[in-house]
Amino acid sequence: MTSQLSVRQLVKRYPNGVLASDGVSFDVPASEVHAVVGENGAGKSTVMKMIYGLEAPDAGEVMLDGRPCRFKSPADAIAAGIGLVPQHLQLVSSLTVAENIVLGAEPVRGVLRRFDRQQAETLTRELARQHGLEADATAIVAELSVGQQQRVEILKALHRGARVLLLDEPTALLSPQEADELFRSLRRMVDRGLTVVLITHKLSEVIEVSDRFTVMRSGRVVGGGHSKDHTQAQLAELIVGCSVDTASAPRVDARGREPLVQVRGLGMVRARGRAELQGISLDVAAGEILGIAGVEGNGQNRLADVLSGLVAPSIGSVSIDGAPLAGRGVRHARALGVGCVPEDRLHSGVAVGLSVAENSAAVDYHRPPASHAGLLDMRFIRQRARALMSSHEVRCRDEQVGMVTLSGGNMQKVVFGRELQAQPRFLIASQPTRGVDIGAAQRLRRSLVALRDAGAAVLLISADLDEIGALADRVAVLYEGRLVAHFAGRVSPRTLGLYMTGLACDAGASATLAAPFSSLPAEATA
Amino acid sequence: MRLATSGRMRTLAMVLLVLALAWALIAMVSHEPLHAFRLLLTGALPEVRWSPDLGFSVRRMARFGAVIEETITLSLLGLAVLFGFRARQFSMGADGQFFLGALAAALASTWVAPLPGLSLLLAAIAAVATGFAWGLLAGVLKARFGANEIVTTLMLNVVAIQLYRLVITLWFNDPSANMIVSPLVPDGAALTPWLARTNITAFVLSLPLAAAAAWWLLNRTTTGFEIRAVGDSPAFAAQVGMPVRRAIALSMALGGAFAGLAGLHVSNALLKRLPVDLNPGIGFEGLVIALMARNDPAAVPLSALLYACLKAGAQAMERASDVPRELVLVLQACIVLLVVSERLLPTFARRGKT
Amino acid sequence: MSGEALSLFAAGLLAAWLRATAPILLAALGGLVSERAGVINVGLEGLMLVAAFFGVLGSAFAPQWWPGAAAWVYPWVGAASGLSAALVLALVLAVFHLEFGADLIVAGIGINLLAAGVTVFAMVTLTGDKGSTAGLLSHALPALHIPGVAGWPLLDALLNGDGGRGHHVLIYAAFGAVAIVAWLLWRTRLGLRLRAAGENPEAARAAGLPVKRLQYLALGFSGLLAGLGGLYLSMGYLTLFQADMTAGRGFLALAAVFLGARRPLGTLAAALLFGAASVLAGQLGLLHIPTQVVYMIPPAATVIAMVLFAQRREQLRRRALAAALIQLNPTGATAPTPGLPSQ
Repeated sequence: MTSQLSVRQLVKRYPNGVLASDGVSFDVPASEVHAVVGENGAGKSTVMKMIYGLEAPDAGEVMLDGRPCRFKSPADAIAAGIGLVPQHLQLVSSLTVAENIVLGAEPVRGVLRRFDRQQAETLTRELARQHGLEADATAIVAELSVGQQQRVEILKALHRGARVLLLDEPTALLSPQEADELFRSLRRMVDRGLTVVLITHKLSEVIEVSDRFTVMRSGRVVGGGHSKDHTQAQLAELIVGCSVDTASAPRVDARGREPLVQVRGLGMVRARGRAELQGISLDVAAGEILGIAGVEGNGQNRLADVLSGLVAPSIGSVSIDGAPLAGRGVRHARALGVGCVPEDRLHSGVAVGLSVAENSAAVDYHRPPASHAGLLDMRFIRQRARALMSSHEVRCRDEQVGMVTLSGGNMQKVVFGRELQAQPRFLIASQPTRGVDIGAAQRLRRSLVALRDAGAAVLLISADLDEIGALADRVAVLYEGRLVAHFAGRVSPRTLGLYMTGLACDAGASATLAAPFSSLPAEATA
Repeated sequence: MRLATSGRMRTLAMVLLVLALAWALIAMVSHEPLHAFRLLLTGALPEVRWSPDLGFSVRRMARFGAVIEETITLSLLGLAVLFGFRARQFSMGADGQFFLGALAAALASTWVAPLPGLSLLLAAIAAVATGFAWGLLAGVLKARFGANEIVTTLMLNVVAIQLYRLVITLWFNDPSANMIVSPLVPDGAALTPWLARTNITAFVLSLPLAAAAAWWLLNRTTTGFEIRAVGDSPAFAAQVGMPVRRAIALSMALGGAFAGLAGLHVSNALLKRLPVDLNPGIGFEGLVIALMARNDPAAVPLSALLYACLKAGAQAMERASDVPRELVLVLQACIVLLVVSERLLPTFARRGKT
Repeated sequence: MSGEALSLFAAGLLAAWLRATAPILLAALGGLVSERAGVINVGLEGLMLVAAFFGVLGSAFAPQWWPGAAAWVYPWVGAASGLSAALVLALVLAVFHLEFGADLIVAGIGINLLAAGVTVFAMVTLTGDKGSTAGLLSHALPALHIPGVAGWPLLDALLNGDGGRGHHVLIYAAFGAVAIVAWLLWRTRLGLRLRAAGENPEAARAAGLPVKRLQYLALGFSGLLAGLGGLYLSMGYLTLFQADMTAGRGFLALAAVFLGARRPLGTLAAALLFGAASVLAGQLGLLHIPTQVVYMIPPAATVIAMVLFAQRREQLRRRALAAALIQLNPTGATAPTPGLPSQ
């Protein structure tokens, strides 16, 4: 079978040592919708970048129509007929649809090189009609919905002669209706000869729209085939892998107890696109760990931001021990005993330009004993930082060094140390061991368990199912901004995978202490 | 710290490059380039001579005095600009804050009933408070409304300078003088020179003290901590609950306080009376100082001294050779351009593992 | 005053207004183009200054270089040398920012300092005079006289200014430039690309646009326009260069861009406002309004306008969020919200 697009033994190692692609190979025949599936960090984005000329492979090759291609930049890929619809749309908001589509290849008129607006608009309309995509050539992009903007991106790629269209997490911002619309359009275009490669973590999409698929995990291809031939369960298992049931601390069953943290009807909109959070209701009891599983990008960061007091929700309530929490700022939340280990360590967790001591004092420097009447007590701060460093085994020369010299694991230890030092009643830990070496990760997980045993409520937001499996007493799954499942801690990763990838959904699920657990889907037990 | 040394190495390399450029320009326009270049480098310094019958004698003290005086003003202005920069704000408002601070100091000295010793204190308070308030205005405009601080501070400079000229022209001028100038600051409020034939006053203590105060404010107070955190990573500052807007506003306000202090220096120590046509633009020289010092208060006095020496050297060079002193403006500009060119000289800093 | 005298006085005032506006307008249009392309040019002041200086130099030394040429050539030689100088300086700014990674704002200020230094340094070296080039014989660019309106004194005064000599060619250039810049940015392919590069450089790069090259172009163009503004100062009403001749007009030009909401007509209005302020400053003295107060009006207006623009942006954002709320609760029965998102 001659495929239109092939990748053969692609290898890519990033300068920081991460092996993002380890001998990736797959084929995409013409006029097919092919899904490349995997979680975050599986390596699918890297492969896409290599196909599109954004990255050069260290080894292996990309072949188009049977001939090897060496793309030095996206311009080469575009010239060869490969188009990309990026996850974060790259349109110029104040220009019209037509202007965006022709940007870079604009029609001109006259000796003065006047931009031929009419020609551009005619072209746009013709293109839209030809491919069955609705688009208003004169509309200003800033005023369009996300689904409409995405259509402009598709038309842009088609205008440049794309025969192979790469779509990167296309439904990340779309409502279900817009996603359906998109799939219908893709089908129409494929029927007319286009080849589509869909890069996604949502298995629901694989089932719904793709002909064949390739599964990636940790930089390798771990499976593939015709979408119709596989069950949902098999697909989910391929994605999340069969993980060994790691020995873990005894589980706590907090059902029936009074919750410490109560979240009811939490919702968060954004100016453009699907709401980030919808109808989130959950409880966390003192002395329990509630895990929020989900592929990154499904609303986790927003949830953490709201619960830590950083942003106010659009709707809904959050309370800790009865005291309202939402929308009153971080310091108010901290005063109520909330701590947070943020997901983006480098930008929000630490200040790389400050010292370790200063970072460790960042949450309570404004109160005694760290400061008195606006004057910092550096001796106390340094002493406390040294104590933190020794009790958390932070490896660096001393507390005065710049944060930037620490490894990821050591930085995270400082963040943890800082939060635990404040003795929180409720700790939100967001992707706590991502990018952290194994030793440090184990240490950090042990501290979470210790915190729980000491009576605090812990919300563990993680895309790492091993971690969820090892630590969580209860688990809820976040998908497209909603809770779609609620289980007891000892649920299999396979089951979680089904919900995380959209294959299964317990509509209206909530993670309150009184809420029932979702029934396990039939295939999971097969 | 390794990072800081490499930064200092780069600044040193830049300064050497600039001096090489100075040599090239002098060689182009002068008939006696070596003489002129030597004057540029040493012209600021007093001449110490020894002769058998007179013993040690020091000449050109007045010129060196002027260098020290200029250093004091520039040092304070460098500290002023530095505060905004540490919070990652491009506040260009030092000029306006300086003018209003000088005006406030002169007004307070003259109009408040002269109490011995107190009037100077009141003048100082007035200068600092006015500079602080004017900086706070720009700070609030940025923090509360998100108004681009480059344009607002430039505009506020114009308003401040016009206000200064208005007050002096209409209400605060000395009718007996033959130019438009404010009345002489009364003796009780003026500072007396410590060194004969110069205007080096007690204000020279501000060189170490103001730099120390700025360092202390930035590194030992909660507000300074917030300013530095916001400048390093606004997302981090917000995440840990710091009052980001307040820190931004205060960074500009504190900068204004130092600029006001520079105004006090000019008003009560240097000039003793304020001319209506006092030259604007000294705020930008403060910016050059802050850049040379890489926004570190401890390095500001030295940077200011080097800069002032260069300026005075250029004056000496002009007097005794055929090279105009505006050369130093060209050098100043080159310093600015080179210091911020990140990619020109490779950074030797070792980036830590993330 | 008689009716005719009054209208002649008004025409004279108008001429003065145009004279004050032209340099600011030209520089502001240059600032507009570079701002739209994403490279804000804080060095307009310096660019004007070098153009003013090298214009005078060119026109004064032209007779030495081309002794046989007709006299009307010399000012144009000056214009060419002035514009070249401004272009070179603008490209220096571009190189430091785009190639060496210098911060654009600080580099712009460096350019201003460089211009101040180079002009006086060169002036002293070449003429021995520190304050001005009064010793040199330099020429003015011509005025354009509109013929055939001598029969209508009012129209004549309007179109041909005081003394009937006609408005200076650069005044026509300034107002013409408004149309040219508007046409360039909104009607040509280059303008489309410049705006795209300035608004969303990532998207522009993804579309294959050479963003760096476009920004070089934008800065060069802003140098040319600012240069024209500078030329007017030293080859218009006055025919000499004085140290620090621009006196802050470059900064006012930058402010005019923002006061005019980054659009050509708005920039024109803002520049007219600034020009009016300087003209009225003298006139309002009659009404006991001090000139300094009048000079305060343009910058104060700019600050107020920026605050208003920022508030409007915030208002639009809140409205978009409020509209999006419908997603969360189609029935319309909302639980009490703790307040709209504040960030």
